[in-house]
Amino acid sequence: MNTSCTECGATLAVPSDAIVGELVSCKDCSQEYEVAEISNGNVLLKPAEQVGEDWGE
Amino acid sequence: MKVSITFDRLRWEEKALSEAAEAAGLEASLVDSKGLVFEVPKKHPDLGEVVLQRCISHYRSSILTLMLEGAGLKVINSYNVAETCSNKLATSIALAKAKVPTPRTFLALTSEAAEEAADRLGYPFVLKPFTGSWGRMVTVVQDRNTLQSLTEYKEELANPQEQHMYYLQEFVRRPPRDIRAIVAGENIVACVHRIAPPGEWRTNVARGAVSKAFKPDAELKEIILKAAEAVGGGILGVDAMEPESGYLVHEVNNTVEFKGAQSAVDTDIPTQLIKYVSQVARR
Repeated sequence: MNTSCTECGATLAVPSDAIVGELVSCKDCSQEYEVAEISNGNVLLKPAEQVGEDWGE
Repeated sequence: MKVSITFDRLRWEEKALSEAAEAAGLEASLVDSKGLVFEVPKKHPDLGEVVLQRCISHYRSSILTLMLEGAGLKVINSYNVAETCSNKLATSIALAKAKVPTPRTFLALTSEAAEEAADRLGYPFVLKPFTGSWGRMVTVVQDRNTLQSLTEYKEELANPQEQHMYYLQEFVRRPPRDIRAIVAGENIVACVHRIAPPGEWRTNVARGAVSKAFKPDAELKEIILKAAEAVGGGILGVDAMEPESGYLVHEVNNTVEFKGAQSAVDTDIPTQLIKYVSQVARR
């Protein structure tokens, strides 16, 4: 499933077995996205949350 | 039996746990917590009765667990365990009260008091944030000048807890590694050495540490399980050090990451963790 990076416009390949919530990043600019929706072979991405001060184990 | 695995960042661990739950015959559901809405204090129709809490954000995890328990669900780990583990002071208190060997620790509530605490503890010591992980902002303070600079920087932070208050801990002379034990209930599922990368004293896998399988002796096993029990039990990551004077537990992690450990051990960690989840669900 291919889509475009909203940051740099590069083609973003999302693995066919990706699931909602999974992260993908643009190979060109490293912008990180979260898979928001998959329907009929189309994938909708949203920018992933940035690392927060309270993130961790 | 339905088990929901709540997350806010889907990592390898959550997917592996979901697959292990399915393999164990559970109806497993990966649930993105960021989309959940609750009417207090009702149960959420999508979540079933048992939740394995895997949110990476401490505050989101804590608030969600509070809500879920309030609605009558079983959550692993419980709100009390999460709160104890996510605050280093609360962890230190719990370990000390349970007589688990742990590094000498001081609390100071102002920068001036921090200087007095540092004098009593001695330099170098380790300054840690109360909340946080992956070794972030954990600093070895070599002398008073450095502490004074650090307090000035801390006073510029937006978080009031970290801005004015200080958690100071003994700098433990240890090999360039620590011990990570993954505990589920009363079992040590896996135990590894985390070896710090060159040029780094911290042993967090997030900082490039490498995991190597390690077999704990009887004394360490007892200490690990006692530490897990001290914070309330559940699925936990107990971190220990091995200075010449004997083992010390310095941290217990509530949402343990185990990708690094899994790379070093044969045990199927997610399968073992799900086994514990099933046991808790049946209680």
